[in-house]
Amino acid sequence: MLTHRAAQRSRPVDMPFSPVLLAGLALAPVPPRLLQPLFDAILSVVRRRHPDILERLAAYPDASVGIHPVDLPFVLILDAHPESPRLTVRRDFEGVPVTAVIRGPLAMLIALAEGRTDGDAAFFSRQLVFEGDTEVVVALRNAIDGAGIDLQADFAATLGPLARPLRHVFGLGGRLFGRIAHDMDTVRSALLAPALRGADAQTARLNELEAELTALRRTLRQRERRA
Amino acid sequence: MSGGAKLSLGPVLFNWKPEAWRDFYLRIADEAAVDTVYLGEVVCSKRQPFFDPFVPQVIERLTAAGKEVVLSSLALVMSGKEREAARALAAVEGFMTEANDLSFAAALNGRPFAVGPFVNVYNEGTLAYLARLGARRVCLPVEAPASTIAVLAAQGLAEIEVQVFGRLPLAMSARCYHARSRNLAKDGCQYVCADDPDGMPVDTMDGKPFLTVNGTQTMSYRYHNLLGELEALRRAGVGRFRLWPQSCDMVAVAALFRAVVEGRTDAEEANRLLAELTPEAEFANGYIYGREGHLLVDGEALAV
Amino acid sequence: MSAENVELVCPAGTPAALKAAVDAGADCVYVGYRDETNARNFPGLNFSRPELADGIAYAHERGSKVLVAINTFPRAGHPQIWHAAVDDAARFNADAVILADIGLCDYASKTHPELRLHLSVQASASSAEAIRFYHESFGIRRAVLPRVLTVPEIAALCADVPIEMEVFVFGGLCVMAEGRCALSSYATGHSPNTSGACSPASHVRYVEKGEKVVSQLGGFTINTFGNGEPAGYPTLCKGRFEANGKLSYLFEEPTSLNTLDLLPDLIAAGVTAFKIEGRQRGRAYVGSVVKAFRQAVDAIRRGEPVPPMVLAGVTEGGRHTAGAYERSWR
Repeated sequence: MLTHRAAQRSRPVDMPFSPVLLAGLALAPVPPRLLQPLFDAILSVVRRRHPDILERLAAYPDASVGIHPVDLPFVLILDAHPESPRLTVRRDFEGVPVTAVIRGPLAMLIALAEGRTDGDAAFFSRQLVFEGDTEVVVALRNAIDGAGIDLQADFAATLGPLARPLRHVFGLGGRLFGRIAHDMDTVRSALLAPALRGADAQTARLNELEAELTALRRTLRQRERRA
Repeated sequence: MSGGAKLSLGPVLFNWKPEAWRDFYLRIADEAAVDTVYLGEVVCSKRQPFFDPFVPQVIERLTAAGKEVVLSSLALVMSGKEREAARALAAVEGFMTEANDLSFAAALNGRPFAVGPFVNVYNEGTLAYLARLGARRVCLPVEAPASTIAVLAAQGLAEIEVQVFGRLPLAMSARCYHARSRNLAKDGCQYVCADDPDGMPVDTMDGKPFLTVNGTQTMSYRYHNLLGELEALRRAGVGRFRLWPQSCDMVAVAALFRAVVEGRTDAEEANRLLAELTPEAEFANGYIYGREGHLLVDGEALAV
Repeated sequence: MSAENVELVCPAGTPAALKAAVDAGADCVYVGYRDETNARNFPGLNFSRPELADGIAYAHERGSKVLVAINTFPRAGHPQIWHAAVDDAARFNADAVILADIGLCDYASKTHPELRLHLSVQASASSAEAIRFYHESFGIRRAVLPRVLTVPEIAALCADVPIEMEVFVFGGLCVMAEGRCALSSYATGHSPNTSGACSPASHVRYVEKGEKVVSQLGGFTINTFGNGEPAGYPTLCKGRFEANGKLSYLFEEPTSLNTLDLLPDLIAAGVTAFKIEGRQRGRAYVGSVVKAFRQAVDAIRRGEPVPPMVLAGVTEGGRHTAGAYERSWR
């Protein structure tokens, strides 16, 4: 199990600017519990329309996967138990043990869920980052990819009135994009700066420690060979 | 223990200097306590011409010393020349041959043969088919755990041979990694694999020894060592144990394994002596326990 | 062999990918059961029995064939799992099964004489003698060639064997002779040959260390990727190692096979079927790669040059190679 501390250390390589990032700005003050009904609805639709997802995850009933859309101010936790799955929205992973974490821009996560982008390709290009139990991540990826999810069609088919808040979330991003596109760098750095603070110094120290360890191992081995 | 488990010396997998190769086998003929000696270039057909002039002398001495000589085929047969060589080997009379590629087994037309560890024999169905084809002895793949070995030995269809000492042959390729490591093409390899008589060590990025490279072959860094498992394997019906030649004193290594097979030395003492004989070697036995091949499982009885 | 008869053999790890492949113009789709009987036994992947039956129906309705890969080596003492896999494929009217194990070939040819058998790349049959052995012994009708041969070697082979030849044209690239590689089991204890997964996800860790991502397999560091550097699969043969005091991609760079430019040569060499690797990939990959190769094969059929296509977006490390098909690769 990853602790939230391990999870916090990590961040994706590149966080492309996106309308969703800006939507995140607007959502920042919204308490996650107000978003929870939306995700309950998403899960219930997915369960109904794509039962094979949970079937493909049946081997991991206790898995708890953190999903972090890096351009939104909240995270999701998927408990994949076949009988009682849950999709919980939270501010962060603080205090929640998770088996694995998937991070990427929301647009990419949605494209992945809908099978419009290839998970391996996203990983090769470093836009998608995951950590923790790789097996669970791979199983989830395959289960979702195999289901043939089409969020719009799925929601149009089943959601009715609840479709509106979701459309609102995406629509908001679009409107915000138009309004403040001229100042995107400011927005981006304002959002991300706290997450990145101190990362550079930490990296430098880690590199140093690793080089020392490798050198030490080599010296030891050379000594062993001479002995 | 051991009603009559036999010891074999596998073919030299490395590219030793031809004279060193000859001298090695001459000493094995005179001094080593092994029943069978496998001879032949298994890894890279480009090496074979260098050893050819010494083969008759080596065979003669080994045979005169009462050792069974088995001629081993190449493991990965691709080119016309390699196919020709396989055909020529298949036509040799008077010696048992070891098929390390199926093409070779097919060329034997029902004559008795041995199956080398580079042919995938993982189950009773394949064993039965090969036995019908003429296989009298099968050296199992490196990965085979004790559970597989026990099932195959119990079939009673062919003598089962198990690898018990030396760096493990893990993979074959068309590409030469020795040449690649020196920025050379395989066609102009300058036979750089001869620089590493026990293979070229390959470390991980953080300095952990991991694999070795022997031309087109990739091997384990650790030496396989089943001294502690010989008795259990023998009880499971294994008839023969294979030592892979390394540049250490193989006569002494063979003597140690022989002593344990014959119950004259216990495994613990033999392990201590083997460590003295091979001071640079790190040992592993994980595969036989169905575990990671690089692991050294210690203090656990092998269940078969 | 002419371009008219060339078949495009496409991967599917899920029913959604099978539909994507068929819809993108696959002549054949190859699939596996959700168990250790196939060499892509990855978590959450592959077909249940009912999914396979439905998938075959979907493909057949649209004129595509389905080949079932049962290409691992049965574990000693448990042949019935693999036998049942063959029996069920025959029962579901699969167009062929793809086998690697001699014992399983023997079983299939005796039990289902009407079932078409293909020889998996995992059998590592790299010579005419080996291929003829499988043909004469078990009636194998097509062999998938190991990725160790050059185009001229393939041409010589095609002229020398009485059965169809299938070659890989795109995707993941084994640099070792297939079915004869124990690197993954050395590090993880799980044999791709018997359990069906190379570098199983359960033994893979991606560790973030500051700006770097470190990939580990069975506790061994396989590679590190700096900020912005493209990543690859955590397979040993695509890792960075130190030998002779030099850190390098000793075996192979993270790269994918791509032979779009070689397709006319491969057709001229007598190859019958082009295989795209990637049952573990998503349906987006399957759709885009199948479409690209469909267009390429159709262009060759019309006597036109192969249209340029950008597939870098789906390749490992963002790079591609013609692999062993070109002699210089060795």
